[in-house]
Amino acid sequence: MDRTSKVVKTFTRKLFPFILLYGCYLISHGHLTPGGGFQGGVIFGSAIILLGLVEGIRMTEKRFREDMLSLTKNIGMLIFMLFGFTGMILGYAFLSDFLPKGETGTVPSAGLILLLNLTIGFMVGTGIAVIFYRSVRHGSEEE
Amino acid sequence: MTRTIIILTLLGLALFAFSAMDFEYGKPGPRVSEHYIEKGVTETGALNMVTSIYLNYRAYDTLGEATVFFATALGVFMLLRKEKSGDGSHFESS
Repeated sequence: MDRTSKVVKTFTRKLFPFILLYGCYLISHGHLTPGGGFQGGVIFGSAIILLGLVEGIRMTEKRFREDMLSLTKNIGMLIFMLFGFTGMILGYAFLSDFLPKGETGTVPSAGLILLLNLTIGFMVGTGIAVIFYRSVRHGSEEE
Repeated sequence: MTRTIIILTLLGLALFAFSAMDFEYGKPGPRVSEHYIEKGVTETGALNMVTSIYLNYRAYDTLGEATVFFATALGVFMLLRKEKSGDGSHFESS
C-alpha cells in the first residue's frame, strides 16, 4: 500500500544527492566554516532517514544495507582511536596533531582535524541511520 | 504564624548582612581563552575557532563524545534486535 504522494517522491529522489553533497561539504569544510563532523554526519543520516520515510525501508535497504552501515560506524570509531595512537607512536601526546599544516584557508590546512572530522562524520551519519532502521523495524513488529 | 514571621525576618536580616559583606572574589575569566583566540589559527591551522578547540586542544573530550554516541547506537542495535520468527516481509504491510 503506497500512500506517499508523487510530488514528495519525485522531489526526494531529486534532492537526495544534493543533501548528501551538502553533508559532505559540511564535514570536509568543518575547520574553515561553521559545521563539522557531528553536524555534517547528522545531515548525512537524515538524508537516509528521508529516503526511508518516503521510499519505504525495503527500498532504502537495497541501497544502504544495514550491516554495511553498522560496519562503517564501527570502523569509524576504530580509525578515530587509531589516529590518536598514531600520534603517540610518533612521539606526541594522545590525539595531538602530527601532520604538517598547509596554507591557512585551504581544505588541507589543519592537518589531523580534517581526518578526525571525516571519521566522526561517517560514524554519526551511519549510526543515526542504524538507529532509525532498528526503531522502525521494532515498531512495525509490535503491531 | 509568629514562628514563620520570625524565621522570615531572620532570613531577611541574614540576607542583608550577607550582601553587606565585602567578599574577595577571584579574577574573572580563565586565561586559556585568550591563548586560544590569539594563537588558535597559527597553532592549529583551522579558521573555525570552535573546531580548533574541540578537535585539537580538547580532542580527548571529543573522543568521549564519540564514545557516548557509539555506545548509544550499540545499545539500540542490541536492544531492538529483530526476532528470528518473522520472514522479514512485515516492513511494507501496515
